[in-house]
Amino acid sequence: MADVSFRGATRYYAGVDRPAVDRLDLEVADGEFLVLVGPSGCGKSTTLRMLAGLEGVDEGQVWIGDRDVTALPPKDRDIAMVFQNYALYPHMTVGENIGFHLKVAKVPRDERERRVRKAAALLGLESYLDRKPARLSGGQRQRVAMGRAIVRQPRVFCMDEPLSNLDAKLRVQTRTQIASLQRRLGVTTVYVTHDQVEAMTMGDRVAVLKDGVLQQCDTPIGLFAKPANLFVAGFIGSPAMNLLPARVDGDSAVIGGHAVRLTRGQRAKLSGDEVMVGVRPEGVDVVDFDDGIPVVVDVVEELGSDQFLYCSFDQAGSGGLVEHAVTARVAGMSPNERGAKVGLLPRREAVHLFDPVTGSRLED
Amino acid sequence: MTVADVGRKAPRRPKPAPGAGRRSPLRVLGMVVVLAFSAFNLLVLYWLIAASFKTPVEIFTKPFALPVRWFQLGRPLRNFAYAWDQAGFGDAFLTTVVLVAASSAAIVLVSAPAAYALTRLGVRGSGPLTNLIAVGMGVPFQTVIIPLFIGLSTVHLTDSLFGLFLVYVALSIPFTVFLLTGFFRSLSDEMEEAAAIDGASPLRTFFAVMLPLARGGLITALILNAIGLWNETLLAIVFLQSQAHFTLARALFTFYGAAEYQSEYGGLIAGVTILVLPMLVLYLVLARRIITGLTLGSGK
Amino acid sequence: MATIVAAPAKERGAAGKPGPVGTSGGHLVRKRRLFWPFLTPALVLYVVFLVAPTIVTGVLSFTRWAGAGDTPQFSGFTGYLRMFASDSFRSALVNTLMYVVVGGAGTFLLAFLFTMVLRDMPGGKLVRTILFFPNIVAPVALAMFFSFLFKSDDKGLANFVLGAFGVNPVRFLAPENVTLTVIGALVWASSGFYITILMAAVDRIPPYLYEDAEIAGASAWQKFRAITLPLTWDVVGVAGVLWTINALKVFELVFVLAGPGTYSPPTAAWTLGIYVFDRSFGSQGTPDYGGASACAVVMIALTSVFVVLLRRLMRRDTIQF
Repeated sequence: MADVSFRGATRYYAGVDRPAVDRLDLEVADGEFLVLVGPSGCGKSTTLRMLAGLEGVDEGQVWIGDRDVTALPPKDRDIAMVFQNYALYPHMTVGENIGFHLKVAKVPRDERERRVRKAAALLGLESYLDRKPARLSGGQRQRVAMGRAIVRQPRVFCMDEPLSNLDAKLRVQTRTQIASLQRRLGVTTVYVTHDQVEAMTMGDRVAVLKDGVLQQCDTPIGLFAKPANLFVAGFIGSPAMNLLPARVDGDSAVIGGHAVRLTRGQRAKLSGDEVMVGVRPEGVDVVDFDDGIPVVVDVVEELGSDQFLYCSFDQAGSGGLVEHAVTARVAGMSPNERGAKVGLLPRREAVHLFDPVTGSRLED
Repeated sequence: MTVADVGRKAPRRPKPAPGAGRRSPLRVLGMVVVLAFSAFNLLVLYWLIAASFKTPVEIFTKPFALPVRWFQLGRPLRNFAYAWDQAGFGDAFLTTVVLVAASSAAIVLVSAPAAYALTRLGVRGSGPLTNLIAVGMGVPFQTVIIPLFIGLSTVHLTDSLFGLFLVYVALSIPFTVFLLTGFFRSLSDEMEEAAAIDGASPLRTFFAVMLPLARGGLITALILNAIGLWNETLLAIVFLQSQAHFTLARALFTFYGAAEYQSEYGGLIAGVTILVLPMLVLYLVLARRIITGLTLGSGK
Repeated sequence: MATIVAAPAKERGAAGKPGPVGTSGGHLVRKRRLFWPFLTPALVLYVVFLVAPTIVTGVLSFTRWAGAGDTPQFSGFTGYLRMFASDSFRSALVNTLMYVVVGGAGTFLLAFLFTMVLRDMPGGKLVRTILFFPNIVAPVALAMFFSFLFKSDDKGLANFVLGAFGVNPVRFLAPENVTLTVIGALVWASSGFYITILMAAVDRIPPYLYEDAEIAGASAWQKFRAITLPLTWDVVGVAGVLWTINALKVFELVFVLAGPGTYSPPTAAWTLGIYVFDRSFGSQGTPDYGGASACAVVMIALTSVFVVLLRRLMRRDTIQF
């Protein structure tokens, strides 16, 4: 039985026809760490708030465990939330902040203090219990917000971009701390972020949203290896997957004049004579100009461990020649130069095909 | 995955968050009280304006009805005419306009440079000096009227509009300086520095750069002082004795006793309206500025 | 490299400690010469018309002076003693304190109530504008309106309305009732102002704090006590100071409401402000400048005491959100 499930959940904003969240069907297993990811405005925060009860549900339902909580106020849902701004009470000490929810719930003082101390120990905050938030660093404040959520011992954690306000280095550090904390506590967690790296590294499963619609929900590897549509393909992975329009010619897809041989299974799924070919930068090899997609190297990015080649080629499109960009990843310090004319050969197993109209993946 | 249906319309009002408590009885009661209060205020305004066109009998027996009698007699503005001529409100109006305009202008003229000096010229002790002046806001006028009266009478400036003018200007300085120091402090330094780099003299910088930047604050100070002085009564009572010199508030004060005696209630209310209406109009036009200005210092 | 680093340090002016902006550096010292010319007119007026008279009042309070035609004679504390012993002063003091304390409590209670309701109400800003309007009306005009409202016989507006419900006329303005009536009037006239101040302060509280409290299951009252009140406390303090200063000064409202208008109202209704006025410029009896000054001194002493007390009570570290 899923611990959290969205059943056709829909949310509208006043005066806007397109729903912020559109008939979302999503299930989160007990103890699972699910990440909601997507660009700004995709509805991920709204979804989280619907789960928390801070946002109304216009159609559909939200279930926690075996209870339909759609109409229940937040306090009856047994959830805890970590806000992007931490929402720490500026006039209360760390200890009072962490214990606030317990105080409201009239937990007796001894037990309250015991639980606060325990949570503080877990997060390394014992020596700060008497400080006010203004005198804490960003990372410490974030931990206080976590502490307040943990001490409630809720059924579900809701986290709304808790790392966005931290600097890059702290973000990486805290990321692992949060993930290991969640594993330790085993609490079902729904986590919102716009950063796909966070999503990939932290989530048991990741749900990708765009314009209020769920694009794909899968393990990180699943998203990476088998993106369900063009959007997911281009969103997950950095640098982004190359998405190139190709013309079908017999048993090949022709890109920039180069024919990419397709498997029988791939050919079977084709409809029409156009197809979108996706191939990740690490999925191409650099060969001679005539042996692969003929491109010109525009920029060479040398990182030492890797080298990225940003190339371009022209292809006939509607209304004349269109320039397309391709990125290739090669071993660091390879002898590639700007302006060189090379060929990029996609490896067969690295080729993804997408329907040019719907954007959906064409399964092998 | 899911394709949005064309033609699905958003509901007119998305549902509120569950348990938002919008309908709790306490809140409903609160809203009723608030609306009642607002209605009361509007009713007061209506009563005032309507009553200023009524006969005394109408005022007391039909307070909420529309005025009828004077209109029937073909003299709808009779109360106003009475107040204007017999009770001297016409002269008082002119006096008040001139006095208030001159005083407000003078106050700002004197306070703006002072506020500028205290906030931006970086002299040591500016802070405590500013506080010293601001403290003056807490001094009740009653504390100074006796010596001021004595002092002004020795230079024959009692019962004189000029004397009152001086008093008005001086006693408004604490508030105005306080208000303007807030404004000047909030201005960015870059303009000043740019002017200095361009070789402008400090005086020039003040007039050409700082004053225009602080225009909002200056106008607010002007308006707030104008309102305060228009309504000011105590000092006018102390320092003006002959009717020829009366301000509106002063005239109203004197008229009150006489009106009761003569049952000239219509004229009295017309007088009140003459006093209140200009401020009301000003308020309707400038409400936001007035409200922001008056509460600025308090809201931090 | 070295030159680029050196230049900014030099620009910042001498010896480490940066002065107020735009005031360090040679060519800007000229600016300081403006200081006294700019400040002096205001300062002189302030000292001559406010500071000096206050001191003179203090001095006068120790004298006995019956105004024009008499000369002040030093009398030490007898003036004060006589004043404290007089009934009129006592009732004035009690009344004034009532206005400050009871009126203040009433106003702030009302203001908080209204703020919480108006925040979520559509048209809240419009209502606030309507409620604020008594603040720009002359107190003397307000007082006259109230005298019409509260006339003791059935001619008064309030009694007119009450009469429609079959209630007997109430003598609102009888000396024993007038203080309460004036408190009501004062609260009505002032609430708009304090509602505005409080609303501005409450608006600054970030909404996510309330959301977290919602998740915690806090009731409306708990949210108020745990969030709204503490985070507006400093503004409440400032507003309290403003209220105290203004309530201590109350004059026109009582003078016109409680009295016949041409001369002072009965002493049972007096405030300190009226006491000072009556004893110096009132049209009845011989003036008593010494006594009036003594009362004025009491007024300013009370103001200071209240302000200091309030600031002490309300003091806290500045809250950063």
